[in-house]
Amino acid sequence: MSQGIYLSDAPVRRPQYGGSPLVRKIQRACRLSLQEPDLSLNLDVADYVNAKQGAAPRDAAVAIVKLVNSRDTHTAVFALALLDVLVKNCGYPFHLQISRKEFLNELVKRFPERPPLRFTKVQRLILTAIEEWYQTICKHAAYKEDMGYIRDMHRLLKYKGYIFPKIKEEDLSVLRPSDHLKTPSEIQKEQEIAQAAKLEELIRRGRPEDLREANKLMKVMAGFKEDNVVQSKQLINDELRKLKRKADLFNEMLSTSENPDLSNDTLVELYSALKVSQPKFQKIIEEEHDDDNLVQDLLQFNDTVNQLMQKYNLLKTGETGQAAEIKLSAISSPTPTGGALANEINLIDFGDEDASSSPTPTGPSSGNPVDDLLSDLDNLNFSQPSQGFGLGGSISLGASGPTSAVNTTTAPGNNMDLLAGLSSPASPSPQPVFNAPTSNTADLLGDFSTPVTSAPSKNSLEQVKVEMSSSSHLRIDVELTRESDSVLKIVSYFSNIGTSPISELTFMVAVPKSMTLKLEPQSGNFLPVSAQNEVTQVGWIQNALVTSEKVLKVKWKASYIVNATPVEETAIFALPKI
Amino acid sequence: MGNSISKVMGKIFGYREMKILMLGLDNAGKTTILYKLKLNKIKTSAPTVGFNVETVSFRNVKFNMWDVGGQDRLRPLWRHYFPATTALIFVIDSQDTERLNEAKEELYSIIGEKEMENVVLLVLANKQDLKGALNPQEISDYLQLNDHLNNQLWCVIGSNALTGQGLVEGLSWITNNTKEK
Repeated sequence: MSQGIYLSDAPVRRPQYGGSPLVRKIQRACRLSLQEPDLSLNLDVADYVNAKQGAAPRDAAVAIVKLVNSRDTHTAVFALALLDVLVKNCGYPFHLQISRKEFLNELVKRFPERPPLRFTKVQRLILTAIEEWYQTICKHAAYKEDMGYIRDMHRLLKYKGYIFPKIKEEDLSVLRPSDHLKTPSEIQKEQEIAQAAKLEELIRRGRPEDLREANKLMKVMAGFKEDNVVQSKQLINDELRKLKRKADLFNEMLSTSENPDLSNDTLVELYSALKVSQPKFQKIIEEEHDDDNLVQDLLQFNDTVNQLMQKYNLLKTGETGQAAEIKLSAISSPTPTGGALANEINLIDFGDEDASSSPTPTGPSSGNPVDDLLSDLDNLNFSQPSQGFGLGGSISLGASGPTSAVNTTTAPGNNMDLLAGLSSPASPSPQPVFNAPTSNTADLLGDFSTPVTSAPSKNSLEQVKVEMSSSSHLRIDVELTRESDSVLKIVSYFSNIGTSPISELTFMVAVPKSMTLKLEPQSGNFLPVSAQNEVTQVGWIQNALVTSEKVLKVKWKASYIVNATPVEETAIFALPKI
Repeated sequence: MGNSISKVMGKIFGYREMKILMLGLDNAGKTTILYKLKLNKIKTSAPTVGFNVETVSFRNVKFNMWDVGGQDRLRPLWRHYFPATTALIFVIDSQDTERLNEAKEELYSIIGEKEMENVVLLVLANKQDLKGALNPQEISDYLQLNDHLNNQLWCVIGSNALTGQGLVEGLSWITNNTKEK
């Protein structure tokens, strides 16, 4: 770059380094004229590898390790810096390459049989890198079983007497899996890239066992097996579950005291985690609109998150009074009343849906919720250490112990908070949560139904009109008339209480199995602004015996479009006794 | 180590090894060709889900022949097999005139890839024994290889996997048109 500027006969061209563009980029990032590793050049290589895929990760790894072994310390140090950037930014395809036996052998080529008295700078950096990989991608990556050779190399070096430097916690956290909510298409994309990288590597190796595996993998990739779909569903459910716990925690931290410390790291972190995931809800709903349970679940959760955000912001501006008005019950675990309702709901059929809509377990409840709660926070991985043991019978001494110790020390304050929260009466009961998606429904909207349950004082009336629900857009009133000992007439009135017109309103009601419901068509499906009772719907519930002791509960669902966004409301409602 | 020894032996005795990728639409006859060459037998096969790989020795050359399934869903995966390929054998069902255009599109999308720039292309106009099959010249005209391929060596040979007609010719064309490395 620092040569003089002059025009020659030769056409104006950049200096040629030779080789492929990738090798040229790598050489440029490690060239001697640089004062210190240039992050933008390094990231440029990472971007190139990510964009090209195919053979690029492998070529990059080979070219870099060659530079690491160069006689010149400067180049070697730069190459290791570049290697670090690629490991952190190129994901599985690159991890697969650094876990190749050939690569690792090449990397430690200049290590003497017995450890020297003092390590050179390059040796120290290499040991740091291997230790870092060992503590992160060998343990946390989704494909950790492919990283076996890194573990082996770590063990071998240790056996030879090499001492690994301590790794700073910040450096480790970069390589931890990020637990962000991802949309199905994002998950699929990641899977595709990872599988493609693996397939190419297997083909390259070409040993019979590799080819057998490649054949299997190809079937999965071509969609002859459903693995991918199931897996991505599972992932979404897991992440959603974690997020809900976070929302719970966030809510509790905001509610426990009058003036919560808003600059608390944990609070801020929870806030941003929730905020970041919000735009994903919409995308997931778009992609998975067939999955009624998931969509419903997400919409409700989104509402909750919105309210939490609002509360947080109100608290921030000092309007504690208003903030205190926003009350939310626990989201992720059933409160006693919620639990009862959730049990009831199994008896209730949705008018137009078949049995498939009845609650089904959404994935296994992962271990002890208390542990999980803790582990969610700051990624304290309580469950991890136990996985470290007995991996293929390997002797990885002291490897798992320190990790958890280090982790716990990072956020002592938060632990206290958490535990305090857990012992408070309002805390989620430590029972397996999320058995049924519908149980959340009950919780969330528990607030709506409770005031009305106290209505039975109007017992003797032949006709009652009560408010069934009111949200920011829609108010629903129901008028109940006792027509005979066993027949109830139910008239629903819909009013627009928002500031935008409501269109495509559909309303559904479900009654317990022992009864039958007959609904007339709605009188319309459009509600202009401030329309009062513009749309009505008449229905009859048969076999609703006047003698019945039990409170008659119905489940309803209203969906509509407001401001071009679809909204869905649903809840269980206890009808007043008449 | 074994690899390097065989390389040295190769230098001395003129052995060569090359990777050949065999692609084409489903039901073109790729797997049948592969096993006819390998075992000299007709092996009835179900549609290939995944791939088959066999080594076939011919003269002084060891061919690593990769036959990848040609169904719709497998085609996006073809590109993973491109690296280090010396020659591409594209198999066409000469009787299936309806899907000839589909085959043509697939062929051009393969050889348009950067990794396939330097491969030699052998098109096997397979199933010549069937009535109504287009002959190699017609296939060649249809594919317009003359107009579109300037830098690549290519050749269209009629074949019949059942009798083995055209297969050995194809391999020897590949041998003669790839440089010793």
